[in-house]
Amino acid sequence: MNSDAYAAVQIGDQVAGEALTVTAAMIKDFAEASHDFNALHLDDAFMESTKFGKTQFEGVIAHGLFNFSRITKTLTDWLWPQGALHRRLETRHLNPVYDGDTITAHLTVTNKYQTPKGRWVQLEVKLKNQKGQVVASGDAMAEYPL
Amino acid sequence: MTTDRLKNFEKDFWKGWERRKTWDEIIPGVVRPTNPLTLTQEMIQRFARAIGDLNPLYFDEEYAKKSPFKGLISPPSIHSFLLFACTDNDDWMREPGTINAGQSWYYNVPARPGDTIRLVCKAVDKFIRKERLFIVHENTFYNQHDQVICEGRGWTIRPR
Repeated sequence: MNSDAYAAVQIGDQVAGEALTVTAAMIKDFAEASHDFNALHLDDAFMESTKFGKTQFEGVIAHGLFNFSRITKTLTDWLWPQGALHRRLETRHLNPVYDGDTITAHLTVTNKYQTPKGRWVQLEVKLKNQKGQVVASGDAMAEYPL
Repeated sequence: MTTDRLKNFEKDFWKGWERRKTWDEIIPGVVRPTNPLTLTQEMIQRFARAIGDLNPLYFDEEYAKKSPFKGLISPPSIHSFLLFACTDNDDWMREPGTINAGQSWYYNVPARPGDTIRLVCKAVDKFIRKERLFIVHENTFYNQHDQVICEGRGWTIRPR
C-alpha cells in the first residue's frame, strides 16, 4: 500500500478509461461468457418488432452489465495500482449501446471521507458514447485501507 | 457443487418461458432456488476477455501472488455470469425482454478460481412507474467460507 496514495487523491481528479468500439460479435461473446442469452442482445428481429413501453430499440443492445463492467475496469485499473480497493458501483442505464458505438468511462472524484476504520474516496461515474451522450451514470466508492 | 451443470445450460431463453414467474406472480421476500457453482480459472478468464479486461490479476499467477490479493482473482463484475450460472432455466431473470434499468453492487472479498460460490437471491420490491413493471432484486454471493463476495441490488423492467 502506497501510504501517500490517499493524500494524493484530490477532489475534482478525473480519470478516463480506454475507449472501446462495441461490435455485435463482442455482445455475443459477452452473452457466452456471462450466460445471459436474452434476446435483447442477440435477436435483431425481436428488437425491431418489440416495443418496450414507449421505447423502440433499433437493434440488439449491449448488456447493461457489459457497460457496467467497462466502468468497473476503469475503476480497478486506477485503484488497484494505488493499493486501493474497489468497494461499490451504482449505475443507471440511460441510453442503449448499439453495435458500432464507441464507449468510454469517465470518473471524477467528488469527495474524500474518513471513518474510524477506513479512508474513502467517492466518485461520480459516467459512460459516454462517441456522440457524447451519457449511456450510464452513477457513483462509486473506493477504500484506501489504513 | 460442480461445473457440470453448465454443460447442459439452456442458451435458448425462449424455451420454458411459460414456466417463469410474471410480474404479477413475483412476490417480494420469496427466496429464489439457486445452485452452488465451483468457479474455474477458465470461466474467469473467459469473462475477463469478453469485457476486454486483461488485468494480470486474472491471468498471471506469479504476478497475482506478489500482489496484495496474494493469488488469482476474478473481475469484480463476475457476478454477471454467476447470476445465470447459479440459477435454473425457469428463473425469471431469463425472461426474454427483461430490461436492466440499473444496479448497485458492494464488493467485500474477491471471487477466486476454485471457490464454491453460493447465491442467495430474492425480489425485495415491485412497483409500476410510467406504466412499466419494475422488480427490485437482491443478490448475495458467498464463497465456501461463507464470506460475502459481493452484494447487489438490481432494478429490472419486466416484459410481462
